[in-house]
Amino acid sequence: MTLRECYESIGSDFSAAVTRMCGREEMLLKFVKKFTSDPSYSSLVSSFESGDVATAFRMAHTLKGVCLNLGLDKLRQSASDLTEALRNAQSTSEVQAELYNKVKQDYEMTEKAISLLD
Amino acid sequence: MKKILIVDDSEMNRSMLSEMLEREYLVFEAENGKDAVSMLSRYDTEIDLVLLDIVMPEMDGLDVLKAMKKNGWLTDIPVIMISSEMNPEVIHQAYELGATDFITRPFDIYVVQRRCRNMINLYSKQKNLAGMVADQYFEREKDSRLMINILAHIVEYRNSECGMHVIYVQNYTDILLHELIKITDKYDLDETKISLIIKTAALHDVGKICIPEEILNKPGRLTDEEFKIMKSHSAVGSQMLADLPFHKDEPLVKMAYDIARWHHERWDGRGYPDGLVGDEVPISAQVVALADVYDALTAERCYKKAFSHATALEMITKGECGQFNPLLITCLNNAAEQIRLVKEGNQGGNMDYDVREFARDLLKNESLYSSDRLLHLLEYEKMKNRFFEGISGSCSFEYTMNAKMLTLSPTAAKALGLPETLMDPVHNETFIKIFGKEKLHDLNAKFRALPPDNPIVQFCFYVVEEKKPNSDEVVRTFRICDPADGEVKFPENAQVTEYKLICRAAFTVAEPQRYTGVIGKLVPAQREYDIMKGVDISDFA
Repeated sequence: MTLRECYESIGSDFSAAVTRMCGREEMLLKFVKKFTSDPSYSSLVSSFESGDVATAFRMAHTLKGVCLNLGLDKLRQSASDLTEALRNAQSTSEVQAELYNKVKQDYEMTEKAISLLD
Repeated sequence: MKKILIVDDSEMNRSMLSEMLEREYLVFEAENGKDAVSMLSRYDTEIDLVLLDIVMPEMDGLDVLKAMKKNGWLTDIPVIMISSEMNPEVIHQAYELGATDFITRPFDIYVVQRRCRNMINLYSKQKNLAGMVADQYFEREKDSRLMINILAHIVEYRNSECGMHVIYVQNYTDILLHELIKITDKYDLDETKISLIIKTAALHDVGKICIPEEILNKPGRLTDEEFKIMKSHSAVGSQMLADLPFHKDEPLVKMAYDIARWHHERWDGRGYPDGLVGDEVPISAQVVALADVYDALTAERCYKKAFSHATALEMITKGECGQFNPLLITCLNNAAEQIRLVKEGNQGGNMDYDVREFARDLLKNESLYSSDRLLHLLEYEKMKNRFFEGISGSCSFEYTMNAKMLTLSPTAAKALGLPETLMDPVHNETFIKIFGKEKLHDLNAKFRALPPDNPIVQFCFYVVEEKKPNSDEVVRTFRICDPADGEVKFPENAQVTEYKLICRAAFTVAEPQRYTGVIGKLVPAQREYDIMKGVDISDFA
C-alpha cells in the first residue's frame, strides 16, 4: 500500500500533510512509520485506565499534536475531543470513557493501515 | 552556527522539528521544562532561539517562560511557542509571560524555518544595535571626561607642579561622595549626579588660567596683594563658565560653575569669594573643597613640603585649614584608608586610569619622540655646518623650494649685505637689485632643469670693484655668468675677482624624484681648478 492509499484508507488528507513537509513524501513516510512506536498512545491507555486524569490529559494532548502534524486527521479529531474532555478534570467520567474508546478505535485502525505500508 | 533549543516532551515532535532545522542550526533538545531550564543555565545566551511546547510533565512551557523571565534570558533569547493548544486563554497567557511568537500545529516546515530565521536575525540585529549604543555611550562618556581632564591639565600645566592634582581631587571626591551617601540621605545625590560632580571637579581651578605665572609659581609667601589676586581664581573661573556663549543651561556647566566658584568656601563662612555659610555652599563644592585641601596638604608644592597622610588628616580634623561640614569630616575619617591607598598610588581610580595615562603621554610627548629626534639631528647638522663655514669663511647657499627660503653662509651674507635667511629671494627687492631679475629667473630655470643623475652645474661668479668717480669709495657688484655665454665685459678700471659657483640641485628621495631646491658654494676660480684637476666632478653628486 502506498502512503497516499494509507491516508485515504484512514480518512486523512494526504496532500495537505505532504505540503506541510515541503513536498518531502519520504520524510512524511519516515515519521508515519515511527508513529506506531511513539509512547504517547500507550501512556494514554495506561494512565486513563488507572484513573490518572492529569497524565491522561497530557498524553491525549501530545497524541493530538503528533497527529496534527502528520495529518492523521481522524485520530487527531478523536484525540482532540478526549483532550478537551480531560482538561481540568478531577476524575474519569462516562463521556470521557466513550471518547477514549473512540480514540482506541481510531488508533487501532491507523496502526493497522500503517502496518500495511510498502 | 546559531543554536536552537527544542523543548517538547514528545520525541516524535522533537525529531520532526530537529530534522527541519538541523541543516541550518545547531539543535539542542530538552524533553521537559526542567531539562530546558538546566540547559539554559548551562548555555545561557549562547542559545539563540527556544522552540517551546506548552503541555509537558515536570515543568510546563508557561513555567519555563516564568523562569526565563526571572533569569533575564527573555531579553536576549526569543521564544517561539509551538503547540497544538487551541485554548485562547493559554495562548494569551504565553504571550503575557513573554513568548515572542506562537506557532500552532499542524505547522508547515517552510513556515517554521522562516519564522526561526527571522526571529534570530531580528534578535541578533537588536543585540548588535544595543552593543553599538552601549559602546558609543561609553566612548562618548570617556571622551568627554578625557576632554575635561585635558582642559584641566592645561590649566594646571602653568602651575609647574605635577599634573596629578586634578586626578587626585577627582578620586578623593569620588570616595568622599560615596561615603557620604552611606551615612546620610540629606543631600540629593544619585550615581548620575555623583558622576557629574567627579567629572566637573576637574575644572575647579579653571580660573587659574587668568592668574599670572609669577604668582602661581612663587616659591615664597605671597604678599597680601598677590594673595588677593590668587584668591580671585574661584570667582574668575565661575565667571568664565557663566560667560560661556553656549550650553549655559547644561547640568555639566552649572555643576562646574558651583564647584569653580565655591570650592574655597568654608563651613563657618570664612572662605571666599562669597563667604557662604554651611549648606549654602552646594555639597558638590564642599566635597571638592575638602578633596582639594587634602591633596594640597599631602602633595609637595613650590612653597611647601608634603605632609603625611596622618598629619593631613589631623590638620583637617582640627580645623587648621578652615572649617568643613562635620559630616564630611566623618566621611574623610571613615574612608581614610581608601584615601591613603589612592594617595600612595596603590589604587588609582579605575575610571581615570586611561585619562591619566594619556596625560602622562602628553607630558612625555611619547608619540612625537621619533620626529623630535629627527628634528634634533637636523638642527645639529645645521649648527655644525654653520660653525665650519663660519671658521673657513666660505661662501655657500642653500635654497629650499618648499619654504621658498634662501640660507646664506655668514660670510656670503656679509659679502652680499643680506641677512642669512631670505624669504622668497626671487621676489626680494634687494636680492633682485644685486643680481638682476632676469638673471635670477634664468638661474631658477636652469636649476629646475637639472636631472637627478647629473645635478651639478657651474657658473662663473665675478666680484667687481669699482672706484666711484671723484671719490675713494669702492662700489662692489656681483655677476653670475654661464661659461657658455662667452666672454664677459667689465668697466675699464674695475678690479675683477673671478670665482666659480658650483651648484647642486636637490631632489626628493621618493620616486619620481622631484626638484626640491639647490645648494651651492663659491670657490676661487684658480683653486677650484686645482681641486677639480683629477677629480671627476660627478663625485660631488
